[in-house]
Amino acid sequence: MTTTRPEDLGRALAQLDGTGARPRAGGTDLTACLAAGVLEPAPVVDLAGVRELHGVEWLPDGAARLGALTTVDELAADPRLAGAYPALAATARELATPQVRNAATLGGNLLQRNRCWYLRNPAFDCFHTGGDSCPARGGDHLYGVVVDQGPCVAPHPSSLAVALLAYDASVLVAGADEQERAVADLYDAAAPARDHVLEPGQVLVSVRLPVPREGERAAYRRATGRSRAEWPLVEAVTRVVLHEGRVSHAAVAVGGVARTPLRLPGVEAALTGARPGRHWGPEVEESLAALADLCSPLPATGYKVDLMRATVRDVLERALEVPGR
Amino acid sequence: MNVRVNGSSSPAPDSPQTTAAEHLRDQLGLTGTKIACGTGVCGACTVLVDGAPTASCLLPADRLEGREVTTVEGLGGDHPVQRAFAAHDALQCGYCTPGFVVEASAFVDGWRAEHGDVRPDRAQVAEAMAGHLCRCGAYEGIFTAVAAACAGEFDTEPDRDPPRSDALDKVTGRARFSADRAPEGCWEGVLVRSVHAHARVRSVDPGGARGQAGSDGSANAVFVDLLGPERLVRYAGQPIAAVAAPTAALARTAAASVRVDYEVLPAVVDTELARAEDAPLVYPTRAERRAAPSYGEAPTPPAPWRGNVHGPATLSWRGPTAARRLRAAAERGDPRLVAQEYSTAAQAHSPLEPHVCVASWDGDGELTLHVSTQTVGKVARKAAERWGLAPERVHVVGEYVGGGFGAKNGLSVDMVAATELSRLAHAPVRVSFDRAEELTDAGHRAATNTRVALLADSDGNLSAMSVDSHGDGGTAVGSTTATLALLMYGRSPRRVRDFDVVTHRPPGMPMRAPGGPPLAWALEQAVDTMAARLGEDPLTLRRRWDGNPKRQALYERVADLELWRGRPRGPRTGRFRRGVGLAASNWLYLMDPTARVELSVEDGAVVVRSGVQDIGTGIRTVLGEVVADRLGIPSGDVRVEIGDGDAEPGTGSFGSRTTTSMGPAAADAAERLRAALREHEPAVPASGPVPQDVLKDALSAAEGLRVVGGRGRDRWGAVTPAMGDLAVGRGLTGAVHVMEVEVDTLLGRVRPTRCWAGVAVGRVYSERLARNQCEGAVVQGVGYALFEERRHDPATGVMLTDNMEDYRIPGMGDVPETEVYFHQEGFEHAAGAGVGLGEVSVVGVAAAVANAVHDATGWRPHELPLRPDRLIGGLR
Repeated sequence: MTTTRPEDLGRALAQLDGTGARPRAGGTDLTACLAAGVLEPAPVVDLAGVRELHGVEWLPDGAARLGALTTVDELAADPRLAGAYPALAATARELATPQVRNAATLGGNLLQRNRCWYLRNPAFDCFHTGGDSCPARGGDHLYGVVVDQGPCVAPHPSSLAVALLAYDASVLVAGADEQERAVADLYDAAAPARDHVLEPGQVLVSVRLPVPREGERAAYRRATGRSRAEWPLVEAVTRVVLHEGRVSHAAVAVGGVARTPLRLPGVEAALTGARPGRHWGPEVEESLAALADLCSPLPATGYKVDLMRATVRDVLERALEVPGR
Repeated sequence: MNVRVNGSSSPAPDSPQTTAAEHLRDQLGLTGTKIACGTGVCGACTVLVDGAPTASCLLPADRLEGREVTTVEGLGGDHPVQRAFAAHDALQCGYCTPGFVVEASAFVDGWRAEHGDVRPDRAQVAEAMAGHLCRCGAYEGIFTAVAAACAGEFDTEPDRDPPRSDALDKVTGRARFSADRAPEGCWEGVLVRSVHAHARVRSVDPGGARGQAGSDGSANAVFVDLLGPERLVRYAGQPIAAVAAPTAALARTAAASVRVDYEVLPAVVDTELARAEDAPLVYPTRAERRAAPSYGEAPTPPAPWRGNVHGPATLSWRGPTAARRLRAAAERGDPRLVAQEYSTAAQAHSPLEPHVCVASWDGDGELTLHVSTQTVGKVARKAAERWGLAPERVHVVGEYVGGGFGAKNGLSVDMVAATELSRLAHAPVRVSFDRAEELTDAGHRAATNTRVALLADSDGNLSAMSVDSHGDGGTAVGSTTATLALLMYGRSPRRVRDFDVVTHRPPGMPMRAPGGPPLAWALEQAVDTMAARLGEDPLTLRRRWDGNPKRQALYERVADLELWRGRPRGPRTGRFRRGVGLAASNWLYLMDPTARVELSVEDGAVVVRSGVQDIGTGIRTVLGEVVADRLGIPSGDVRVEIGDGDAEPGTGSFGSRTTTSMGPAAADAAERLRAALREHEPAVPASGPVPQDVLKDALSAAEGLRVVGGRGRDRWGAVTPAMGDLAVGRGLTGAVHVMEVEVDTLLGRVRPTRCWAGVAVGRVYSERLARNQCEGAVVQGVGYALFEERRHDPATGVMLTDNMEDYRIPGMGDVPETEVYFHQEGFEHAAGAGVGLGEVSVVGVAAAVANAVHDATGWRPHELPLRPDRLIGGLR
């Protein structure tokens, strides 16, 4: 097994093209997957030296483009980013642990493998490892999806994807079929064997965020058992923009519930016109109640219907500074 | 292609498959960096890479190129954080300590640069340390130490020695655990385990590990069959064979080439299904049933078997009266009858140092084992028996032991495999469990289902009690959950019955107060329920029912506690609800009457030796302090060498018996030394402190002197005659926990905020160390209450929570601010006047959490752990 260390994107793509080599960003999940037997050993193309993947670039229109190798810690700590994209920074601050945030990257977070304990246990085969079934579906899926898009039942693991979905961010993908695409299009709930749609040989280069909105209010919540350092049962992000004291734009996204992060357009629509600092009207309550219609719980994930509603309620209450109940 | 590690340059490795942690440990010998979880969760492997704390177990080693790495060794020993950890006893076993220290050093330096010498609050420290787990639960000390270092309190050397004598070795990474030992030419061994829950093994083909090494080491792998003559496996993960090769990678490859031919047999991995008429039997024959392993600490009482159900083991006090009263109360619908059912999940010991053994045979056929064990003496004895060796030809060493909690008792499979493989390899062999093995097949506290019934008479006194409990310990039996109810709440009529339901799952083992926490979970909640029925305060009811004078003293303190007196009353509303609950704990006083301590005079110093081991409780410190205290000399003048099975027999570190067995033996040895020194130097006083100069003269005159002290008897003797190395002493220990929680009723999370732990074990030997252990018990109890559970695949019985991401132990942000109070009376009859506290301090913690949650929400939890889904469901 060898490691190559290209210094520019062209060389990296060449070394990945048809070679069976595997790109490596922060290497945290890759190392864990190799240790657990999720992945077979293969040659590695280390992207750390590829200059095009680094850095935060502020575009003339005021929007930011984030290199795929930006670490999670940089997303959490950069004051200008936090000011412009508070939901992204809030999300980055709460995921994993300080040691992992120092090493893990934006691109790696978006493209990591799911956390299913069957996938990561060598005793089981599943769709992801060449099998033809999902042992979690009929087995112990306490942490599984509540929006069952089948056939795999592992929720998408990327918290940053939830936040970026709430920003309608786009990603630049290099390699075959080079293009800019929406974050949402990185994922395909129906593909049973993959956690993202990139093909071997493609590299996620950067993430482009929209022009920051003045006075954006944002909140992120991770529902977990322990207080920190735990994968979410459900996570939610919201960002709201006010105009003349009322919500003029709202984005709400959830994770931990489906094979992909999800936007909640019904809740977003109901929020329009809501006023911060007060209790909201019946439309918002109804939109929260209607989240149940989105759900198709597995035998053991029915609790996530309530928990999703509760987590969304929490972020909305915090973003809108609704008085305590 | 170099990396700078602690200031020195060395070649960076090129393999993407090696981790930085492995490189630092195996190639550079920097064993202060520990590998515990292997998945970036626990933080024991944390190092600074270009100044940033990094999980080196997730860092590919080839990423080190051109980087500047600082390990714990590179901090020296003078970093304020290291001094603060030592001074505030922010550690127990020490296995997680280097990782904590490295992370905290970066945090403290950064904090002070940004904020000046200001104390961070608990939440800020918890946030900074979120990537670290300590299984001993030394978090209170860590909070204090990190804050003190931030405040600039440790910029100079403290003028007092740390409370724990080996603290400096642990905060610098100098302490060498058995997993850190890799003698020259050491091979690595790997176990081959069953992939089926129940199967007959027709044959095992060693594959690439065939045969025996030539004396020149020519073979590249060796193989040993570990399966007994019955050729059966009864759980997925059961060891079948082991292989060893010169490197870990070769060993894994060789293990993968072993082919096991299974005849798969019907298995049952669920206790409900196991009780069905036609369930496959785990133990179909009488001989098999008799050989079933036990997770009880006492011998399993004889009990009948029906299918997969073992029991009842019945103990009663006017049992028929109790049963009759309870039946009649049920028939008449008596409101003073509380009959409830509670269950608990299986808890894994999960010490951060895994089971590990480095075995080597020397040319003369002597065997040396470096092990991680709670019982160096027992391992030596069992090894001598197993390999037919004279006792003096077996040397067992466990100088530092990274936690145990009951899982490391006796000759375990890592030791058997390493020993057998070493003989074949003609080389030392190290067998170390990986985290999946540790969390699958290294024991656990059995899950339980318990029905409890309490009946109060018209005066509100306890008139009858019954407890029926079913243990779920996989292939093992030996539940004593109900049995412990004999010892609580007076002598009113009661019937207690313990059952076990066996399944094709890995066997349980004794874990810290076996049976205690699950009984308290049921009984203490039932007592609170009764108090509510009687319209009484839970404390008032316990003061009336509980005849134990030590707990009475603790109840008196509770009545005056602000935490209890000022608790919220009446129904609570709103999203966040605060509640306070309490629970009582009871435990036995066990000791080892055969414990011995040797003192010798070597190079003018007093050396303490005994075959006891320090698993984090602090017995190394206690021995030195007792001897120094008896002679009235500074403890720095006493050197303690333990963890060596060649020494005079000490005792096992289990059953809350270490300190109460060893302390008096050390005191006795000190008195014998004093008498012997007086013969050499008459100026040594017959009692009281020995003046420094007199001691010096006496010691130089007595070079080579050796005395041995013993445990001695208690006044009035023991309850039982000594059964070998075990006696049950007179008197019960007690504890009372008062817990405050805040319940987030929206997201279903329970946050323990404050805890008062009152512990009554007689005289406390070393106050700070004892407090640390009691604080850690609260941490483990909180884990048991809220997070920890073993979960398996319902179809195959394969353990799913075999990693520390899915097996969840508490972090610093999850534990209450804890105050420990010791009631030190009541064991004046015991030698040394104080007994063990490791177990009594954990028994009632989860029950106190439950009672607090009920107080906050009005909802009574019945199942453990109290996960968000259960809380949300319960509050709906």
